[in-house]
Amino acid sequence: MRRALVGLAAVVGSAAVISACQEKLTSPAECPGLCPGGPQTLFETVLSPLAGLDSSFHTYVAPGQGAALLVSSGLPVSEDRAVYRFISRQDSIAVRDTARAYTVDSVLITLNIVARDTLVGGLKVVLFHLPSGVDSTATFESVDPQLVDANLIDTIAVPDSVHSGQIQTILRGADVARVAIPPGTGGQLAVGLRMTAAAPTGIRVGSLAGGNGATFVSYLTVDVPDTGAVRNQFLSRATEFNTFVTQNRPLPDPTVLTVGGDSSSRSILRFELPPQLKDSATIVRATLELIPAHPLLGLPGDPAVMEAHAVLADLGAKSPLTADPQFIVTDTLPEGGTDTLRLEVTRVVRLWQASTDRPPAIFLLLAKASEAATFTRPAFGSTNPASPVGPPRILITYQLPFPFEIP
Amino acid sequence: MRRLILLVLLAGTPALGSAQSSQFGVRGLGLPGRALSVQALATGGSFGLFDPQSSLNPAALAAFPALTAVFSGVEDFRHVENPAGTESLRESRFPQMAVGGQMRRYPVALGLGFSNYTSRDFSLATADSVPLRGILIPVNDTVTSKGGLSDLSIGGAYRIQEHWAVGGSFHVLTGTNRVTASRTFADPTYQPSSQNSEISFAGVGVELGMVRSFGPRFAVAAIARSDGRARVDRDSTDVARVDLPYTFGLGLRWQLFPKLTLASQGLFRTWSGANSDLLAQGGTGADNTYELAFGGEFTPDARRPTRKPLRFGVRYGSLPFPLVIGEQAHELGLSIGSGVRFAQERAGIDLGIEHVWRAAGPYSERAFLVSVGVTVRP
Repeated sequence: MRRALVGLAAVVGSAAVISACQEKLTSPAECPGLCPGGPQTLFETVLSPLAGLDSSFHTYVAPGQGAALLVSSGLPVSEDRAVYRFISRQDSIAVRDTARAYTVDSVLITLNIVARDTLVGGLKVVLFHLPSGVDSTATFESVDPQLVDANLIDTIAVPDSVHSGQIQTILRGADVARVAIPPGTGGQLAVGLRMTAAAPTGIRVGSLAGGNGATFVSYLTVDVPDTGAVRNQFLSRATEFNTFVTQNRPLPDPTVLTVGGDSSSRSILRFELPPQLKDSATIVRATLELIPAHPLLGLPGDPAVMEAHAVLADLGAKSPLTADPQFIVTDTLPEGGTDTLRLEVTRVVRLWQASTDRPPAIFLLLAKASEAATFTRPAFGSTNPASPVGPPRILITYQLPFPFEIP
Repeated sequence: MRRLILLVLLAGTPALGSAQSSQFGVRGLGLPGRALSVQALATGGSFGLFDPQSSLNPAALAAFPALTAVFSGVEDFRHVENPAGTESLRESRFPQMAVGGQMRRYPVALGLGFSNYTSRDFSLATADSVPLRGILIPVNDTVTSKGGLSDLSIGGAYRIQEHWAVGGSFHVLTGTNRVTASRTFADPTYQPSSQNSEISFAGVGVELGMVRSFGPRFAVAAIARSDGRARVDRDSTDVARVDLPYTFGLGLRWQLFPKLTLASQGLFRTWSGANSDLLAQGGTGADNTYELAFGGEFTPDARRPTRKPLRFGVRYGSLPFPLVIGEQAHELGLSIGSGVRFAQERAGIDLGIEHVWRAAGPYSERAFLVSVGVTVRP
């Protein structure tokens, strides 16, 4: 009985100890009686970029160095052709230390579709044989005239159900001659791409930088008396060089802020924090508003992603950008959109407050996967007086230091 | 065995502290502490001016029979009502500690005390909608305060003949108030905000007190205290001065029967001296306060008065810092308690329970304050 009482007392005591140590302090309150210091007040202000210091810079990524190549037909934003040049294919194969000639029995050319307008059917990708000397100096005017029937390799009809992935063509027999590599050309095959569809549209195809460039596989019969694997071999060649060329490349318009496009433009916006924000305000929301200068151009159904980065140091076009995802804001650019684009840059503006080492500037660019690899080419109003629409601005909602009641 | 069970149960209210925080401590310097031991709290404070374990009267130090250390705490179970709603709250505090004893060969007693001067612990939540960018956005605001002022005292008492004891004490008033205002938005694109500030106080006070016995059954005690001005720093910057009150007190103790002793006391504090300072800071000012207490102690065994005495009391008083200008709050408390001594009276535990009602206009609250005190005589 005595032990039971002691045990009961211990249990009750422990429970009481545990419960008694819990505090619950929060009570409902109403103003002004229970609002020491008064209500928390919010303020709103508009921050405009420094006039004349918002600029666009171009050609960060050259055509062909992006994650995709552009091919289009009648697309309003641009008319593009793609070019691949494959790694050299030698004209003999070593068998038992002896170079042997071979004959090409068949050829497989594989392409990767990265994106297409899935609402446009009847897509056909047409391959043409180009001179092997094609390089980065190629222009639409130099390439397009060669995409004629005389140089036709094949036409790949892409089923409407295929939205992305590999497409290929196999050439056998006499058709192999369409990709014959003449002697003295270094063994390189170059192909040009154009496309057709039921309506004006475009596609994006894989590239060397994207790791999904075209491949060129030759199936051979080696000139040896053996049979089997030694006699029948294949040579696979990946893309060595690729690019795309654009008809009537638009010249950058200095009155607007351009982002993306085949010139992979980027824009910088510079601001100055007013003293009431710099010193002690608590910023609860900062929204960067960009007004499109014209409907956002691009490929329907294939929106690009735009990023707003905090700037580590303001060095103009070569400003280093933050890689910290906290200070990178992204948004999708819908094709044809005319609405004001709004990016929540609260953390970026808070960074300007917290660190005087960080310039109050924002860099606008397309996501890495989209630069020089998308049809999207937005242009936004700038502080330039000739800008067709208003300049960007940041709407800031903030609190001043709370006036804690001092007894 | 029963003693063991009582000990465990008493230990179950560990964080006992009597600096009853309250919604009536939101303004000004907060809710004033009472500097009373658990024994005195159980009598409504009526024995406070005679109690050496309390820090009200330095002359009472002369009543320490030997070197004694006292520690107390309070658990506050409170139900709050105001125009915004109702809520049940709880809080733990440690409002009173004291060490004191007699000097050998001299009719002098010395004591150190640590007591809660004012408490400003609260967390207030409000909900509202604010128009932002043309849209009403629901927001939740919380203002939280932790801390208050503490009273560190050193005092002495001198016994003159058999019937007189006079004493004096010096008080250091110091403390920090950590306040936080935070806001969250229903729209997640608005980032939550939180702002902090640290308000610290520093001041000194002096006190004189006396206890006069008229025979073994009747005694009178009185005090006068001045706490000067407190310096207020906000985040290490000197921002204000606040007048602290003069305190005057008078107490009576009468042993009605050998087993029953009654006591009463009144305290008056001139908090209105802080009124202009607080109004200048945007506060709601301050009013003078009074407290009247009456209580008694019944000892079942007159030869062993520390053996399970029954203590009881009632008090009524006003609070200094109104929530709304001109509407002073009042409080009424009913208390009861007891205690045990063991180890040849070298250690003891006292328990007190007080039910308090406070009200001012539409604001009211009621609370159970469970106090536990531990006494050790090494």
